[in-house]
Amino acid sequence: MTSVTTEITPDERQASPAVVRQAKDRRRALFLLTPGVIWMSLFLLLPLCMVVYVSFWTQTTFAIEPTLTIASWKQFLSSPTYLSAIWTTVRIWAIVLTATLLVGYPVALFIGLFVKNKTLQTALLVACVIPFWTSFLIRVIAWRPMLGTEGVINTILLQLGMINEPLTFLLFSEFAVLVGMTQIYCVFMVGPITFMIGRIDPSVIEAARDLGASFGTIFWRIVLPLSLPGVIVGAIFVSVMVLGEFATAASLSGRKVNLLGNIIVSQVGSLKWAFAAVAGVVLTIIITAVITLALRVVDLRKEM
Amino acid sequence: MNAGPLRPVLAIYTALFLLFLYGPMIVLAILSFQSQGGGPQFPIQDWSIYWYEHLLGLADTSRVSQLPVGGSLLRSLALAFMTTVVSVILGTMSAEAFRTRFKGAGPVFYLVILGMMVPGVLVGLGMALLSNVLDLERAWFSTAFVLHVVYTYPFAFLVMLAIFNRFDRSTEEASMSLGVSPGQTFRRVTFPILFPGVLSAALFSFTLSYDEFARTLFTAGSDLTLPLAIYGTFSVEIYPNLFAFGVLTTLFSFTLLVIYGLLMKRFTGVESRRYKGQEDAT
Repeated sequence: MTSVTTEITPDERQASPAVVRQAKDRRRALFLLTPGVIWMSLFLLLPLCMVVYVSFWTQTTFAIEPTLTIASWKQFLSSPTYLSAIWTTVRIWAIVLTATLLVGYPVALFIGLFVKNKTLQTALLVACVIPFWTSFLIRVIAWRPMLGTEGVINTILLQLGMINEPLTFLLFSEFAVLVGMTQIYCVFMVGPITFMIGRIDPSVIEAARDLGASFGTIFWRIVLPLSLPGVIVGAIFVSVMVLGEFATAASLSGRKVNLLGNIIVSQVGSLKWAFAAVAGVVLTIIITAVITLALRVVDLRKEM
Repeated sequence: MNAGPLRPVLAIYTALFLLFLYGPMIVLAILSFQSQGGGPQFPIQDWSIYWYEHLLGLADTSRVSQLPVGGSLLRSLALAFMTTVVSVILGTMSAEAFRTRFKGAGPVFYLVILGMMVPGVLVGLGMALLSNVLDLERAWFSTAFVLHVVYTYPFAFLVMLAIFNRFDRSTEEASMSLGVSPGQTFRRVTFPILFPGVLSAALFSFTLSYDEFARTLFTAGSDLTLPLAIYGTFSVEIYPNLFAFGVLTTLFSFTLLVIYGLLMKRFTGVESRRYKGQEDAT
């Protein structure tokens, strides 16, 4: 029984065509990967390291000097402005994440589970994605004529007699930022969740129903657990984008909402590079924590 | 699925959702036809294409300054084109490499994906700091360009990875062993399988780069790209010329989408015709 394997000596095995080919393939893979890895190291990892490094530099009025100090960190962490920016960023992120999930999940449920016609399913998904072919900044600015005191929503409410004077909290407020971000980012929730719900084997649901399960039971015991990877992937997308945001807040909050991104932009504008770097490191820590938490729940590479 | 009243309720909800998605853009499109005297809100005083003329520099001088679209449009197109070419090449090479099992595949995968995950404002800041230290001048075609590739290359990589996952290498080998030259094999076997992926990756890269501005903000130097020109108007009062611009740029993106669709369709059409022809020959 062992005679077959014992006939091959180690030398012969090394020279076997399969092994030679494997080694050749591996060299080829290495060669193909090198440009990409170099590009990412030079233009992604190096700049990120630079942010961490510069956060410990000495900030003078208009310049930075490579003398290491923790002065910027001390100043950042003792300033109410910066600390409140951290709190605002986390708060806005949490609200927008919840809002995108609550707004997006029923849509994903409808498209993925209730629409049986494949063409209609695709058409609905495409309809969700098409707004992305409009410039991001234009989509942000489009909320101004909607929410302003003379905007569409106030006009309609006035005409209906539901209010007597225009609502002023709609635009240039945190509310405007939340609405704008929810609208712009909820598609990143709808997509992955629809994908996961669409993958559920119909016979599983059929079996559950034959065994007398109500829709509520089917939803809680089958659909929701199986769609969870989609929720997590969507949550990662939304989180990363919302945490790094500054344009929506700059355009719709009237400077009332200052996210860490806005802090970075304004500090760079006044050449306070070290403070900008500190804000950048804080932002990186928050994002890393969020993604690590999410990846604990699902292996992104397996889902892709 | 039969769940009583849930189905119609969800259908209505989805319709409202689409209204939520499209409403602001529809309003913006309507308001772009506001007359010269009208502001960026209802009511429409008079329908006109004044703000389109204003945008294109055809209108008489007015109190509203013209949007700086000319040069920035060309720069954005050139930047998007450069980014597309490099991203697709890098993405295809990396995805091809991932067809072989090798040590360190996990870290390399995450390194590439990191490019689309890291917020633009962070890499932008890092790149600005780096060019400060190295005393490099920042410009849209250098510092901004490399960051755009960092952002779009992961998308191209993922698209090509999906294509290669479905690509059985034995089809290539079969063609070769049947005596077809490597050039012919590439043209008749490899390329047709890869082409839809390349086209999709290119479309992704182009639109993402064309619209990208967080990564450009700190790295473009003095010459503005299109999104930067738009961002500049955020701090001042807005006029309907911005809305007119929004409509035109959306139409441009849709044109790209249609070209993509036609290329895909034409391509798959040619494939099936060729296949039919071969059937006739036998």
